[in-house]
Amino acid sequence: MSLERKEEHDHRGWMKERDLSPIEQGYLMTLMWLDKRFRIVDYLELLETMYYRVNLQMPKSHTEQYNLDNKFWYWYPLYSLGAFSTIAYIVAAVTGALLGFYYAPSTAAAQEATVAYDQVVMIMMEMNFGFFLRSLHRWSAQIMTAAVFLHMLRVYFTGAYKEPREVNWLIGIVLISLTMAFGYTGYLLPWTQLSYWAGQIGVEMALSVPFIGEWVAQLVFGGFSLGAPTLQRMYVLHVFILPFVVTALIALHIGIVWMQGIAEPH
Amino acid sequence: MSDSSSERTDDAVVVPMRVYKTVTVFSTLFAVVGVVGGFVLLDIATDRAQADLAEVQPLVALAGVALIVASAATYAFSTRFQAAGMRNAKDGEDEGSNHE
Repeated sequence: MSLERKEEHDHRGWMKERDLSPIEQGYLMTLMWLDKRFRIVDYLELLETMYYRVNLQMPKSHTEQYNLDNKFWYWYPLYSLGAFSTIAYIVAAVTGALLGFYYAPSTAAAQEATVAYDQVVMIMMEMNFGFFLRSLHRWSAQIMTAAVFLHMLRVYFTGAYKEPREVNWLIGIVLISLTMAFGYTGYLLPWTQLSYWAGQIGVEMALSVPFIGEWVAQLVFGGFSLGAPTLQRMYVLHVFILPFVVTALIALHIGIVWMQGIAEPH
Repeated sequence: MSDSSSERTDDAVVVPMRVYKTVTVFSTLFAVVGVVGGFVLLDIATDRAQADLAEVQPLVALAGVALIVASAATYAFSTRFQAAGMRNAKDGEDEGSNHE
């Protein structure tokens, strides 16, 4: 691949053979003049080449592999739920990173309630596009949870988890759990009444675990009653630990799908 | 089509592939930039459609409309240039579908 221009044709010669109107000729001359100076077409051709080279390495889709009717099911919505979850995750990640510039995980008293709550109110009421940003984050999170769940149903009912795809199914189980953990930790961050009592439920669920319950509650919630450590832990889980783990697992999950190909419907 | 070697039908001009790409890329670029720019001008002229009628800047508004029209015209004009083997679907005989 090089940007050396290949002279494929005689720029002037071919034009004389056509009976072009002056406007057409002027138009073409202008564009060709531009083309010689701004070599957009060359770069696009490079991209085109790269696209086809990459595509050569991709596995055949199973419609190609099994010569199935490829007019219809390729767009079958249930087969797009995995991609849909991924897109929702990316949207949530981007909007979450932006929200992170303004949110503070503090239970210290502030004007209205706590710093955390007030910051969320500030984001929604005072920041330009703040309401939009937070809504986008919330909706994408909800959509991701729903899409991941439906994706799991699709995989189960089409038997796509079967040999040789067991490992990816197990990774998927971990991922759906982590997605819910993501949702839960995020739910607590605004430190509203809903957040607070959801946290209380979490503590009590942890405490109900036999033998290790108290230890789990301490570890996850920073104590047996909710407070600053709880919010701090939820925050760190939500913005520092889970993003890395989930992103890595999603990459692995998709990488394995790429390697193994999509399972044909049974 | 009386003579396919004449390279010229009613309003189609057959050009080399490289020129066809040039036309497509640059005319699309013009059209996109022009239309967006035209709307930006309209926005400026009418203060995002918030201005009172007296405060609208007619010259800028007209320039915006003109830019949109010119971009559309450029794009439409460039569709007459085709690479060899391309034809308007309406002129050609049925290609016959691959399935069934």
